[in-house]
Amino acid sequence: MADGCAEGTLLMANDLSKTYGEGETATHALQGVSLEMCEGEFAAIVGQSGSGKSTLLNLLGLLDTPSDGSVRYQGRDISELDKAGRARLRNGLIGFVFQAHYLLPEFSVLENVEMPGRIGGNVPIADLRKRAIETLALLGLEGLERKNANQLSGGQKQRVAIARALVNRPALLLADEPTGNLDTLNTNLVYDLFRQINRDTGTAFLIVTHDRSIAERTDRILEITDGRLVQDIRTRDVVSDA
Amino acid sequence: MLPLRIAWRFLRSSPAQSGLIVAGIAVGIATQIFVGSIIVSLQASLLETTIGSAAHITIKALKESDPVRFSPEMQKLVTSDPRVKPGTVVPVRSVSALFSNGTDSSSLGVLGGDLKALDGIYKLTKRTVSGVTSINNGEIMLGKDFAEKFGITVGETISLKFANNQTGSFKVTGIFDLGSAQFNLRNAFVTGTVPQNVLGWANDQYSSVQMQLNQPYDSAKIAQQWSQQLPGVSILEWQGQNKDLLVGLQSQSMSSYMIQGFVLVAVALGIASTLAIAAVQKTRQIGILKAMGLADRPAGQVFLWQAAILGAAGSAGGVVASFALLALFQLAPVRFEITMQPSFVTVSALIGIIVALLSSIIPTRQTSRLDPIEVIQNG
Repeated sequence: MADGCAEGTLLMANDLSKTYGEGETATHALQGVSLEMCEGEFAAIVGQSGSGKSTLLNLLGLLDTPSDGSVRYQGRDISELDKAGRARLRNGLIGFVFQAHYLLPEFSVLENVEMPGRIGGNVPIADLRKRAIETLALLGLEGLERKNANQLSGGQKQRVAIARALVNRPALLLADEPTGNLDTLNTNLVYDLFRQINRDTGTAFLIVTHDRSIAERTDRILEITDGRLVQDIRTRDVVSDA
Repeated sequence: MLPLRIAWRFLRSSPAQSGLIVAGIAVGIATQIFVGSIIVSLQASLLETTIGSAAHITIKALKESDPVRFSPEMQKLVTSDPRVKPGTVVPVRSVSALFSNGTDSSSLGVLGGDLKALDGIYKLTKRTVSGVTSINNGEIMLGKDFAEKFGITVGETISLKFANNQTGSFKVTGIFDLGSAQFNLRNAFVTGTVPQNVLGWANDQYSSVQMQLNQPYDSAKIAQQWSQQLPGVSILEWQGQNKDLLVGLQSQSMSSYMIQGFVLVAVALGIASTLAIAAVQKTRQIGILKAMGLADRPAGQVFLWQAAILGAAGSAGGVVASFALLALFQLAPVRFEITMQPSFVTVSALIGIIVALLSSIIPTRQTSRLDPIEVIQNG
């Protein structure tokens, strides 16, 4: 657990568990995980395949509900929220980047990036478009706005997915093996971008990876083994680094 | 309007699939309008032919040979009833006569009344096929089939022998065709005083009082109501006297409704199955949108909008196609005019949209229930 947050606590997970099935067939994907994350933190979750790291990310991202335990965002217990409330919080507070880009092939690059803003409906369309274009430019994707997602390379698609995750200016970006489908060059590019965005915008990052060398580029490593948080190492001082 | 925007893009991303659904709805709605219009027009034509120039309700004395008194009370009752077609209340006197040309003879029902009043039901002016429409004193109008049978032409004078051995000579002013060979052969029109003199009846005594209704199918109900208000007379209505025709018309309507119903069911099943497939095809996209924060309700609305767009486009196409089909059908040598009622076309198009919307219930519910984690975990 982090030793207090200078910028404020972003999220606090308390004794999180997730069990699939019942009785003898029950599988304990996550058991009693507690952690605190600060605003603007840059952290990684590591662990073997099937260790429960993606389950933890899905619970923290409000995509799944815990069998036990609680998650608080900026002091608010999300168990008080209904499905629609969780969807609103997910839209406004959290950005997702997955191993697969999950772009919508029916929409252009620009429309894909605008989509979370359109779902939220809190930003005027003109401002949203401007923001989406700026975010695409930040990720080096100028000139690709009108293209269809299917016309892009793998690295470009993942950068569009990152732009989409950032367009609502989330407090937290959750990334699940975001470079799993990319070559080394694009992998380095994506992590450099993550770090730059973290520093420029103050967005906190929680990145799931099985690659320890990638995790070591973050400020904090949370290690999950057999559904339990076995290590929480601070590799750099976030406050002084920022 | 994000759900509408997403629905539109989903439809555009599968143009062949969307086109096929629209075509399916269009064919269904076109069939519905085409079959419905033909049946309605056919029935209207049949009704016009059979009762268009006949009384829908006839008031008579209880005894066939007795006169019925067209009292001021009866006159007030029938003329003030809004269900009675204005200008069609006709008091008629009829008397049997014998016509003979020396070699052949025939009985003839001679109907007497005021031409203007008779015109309201029998439409003599419109149905005069030869000569002029006139039944002044000493004039008679004969049916086409009677005139042809006996070779009588306009301008000739014929002699009739009435039941009480009175005779009369009449100048033929016109030949009518009321569309029924039987009526044309058996009836003739004269001024009302001719049968009145033969029968020796007072001015308010008639063989019957006839009238038409705005809605012919109201006849049974009206006859029943009037028989309570007008005691001592017999009230006959066309449906009671034409039961076979009525059964035929009702069977025709029933078969038409069944065809239209089955067409709509087929359209509904087609749309429902295609939308259900489309919902499965777009599960991944809906899951991603939900992961980004799209709530269940707008997610479900995506397929509702798809159904609305498909239903509206299909119905519009169906209306256009039905016009084309009916235009083609008019080229065929049909004996009745087909008319499309704007209200029927509108209702049919609305039914198309409603059926499409109802067909989207299953995919809409599927989509609403979809949990984004299912998509994320399954990649």
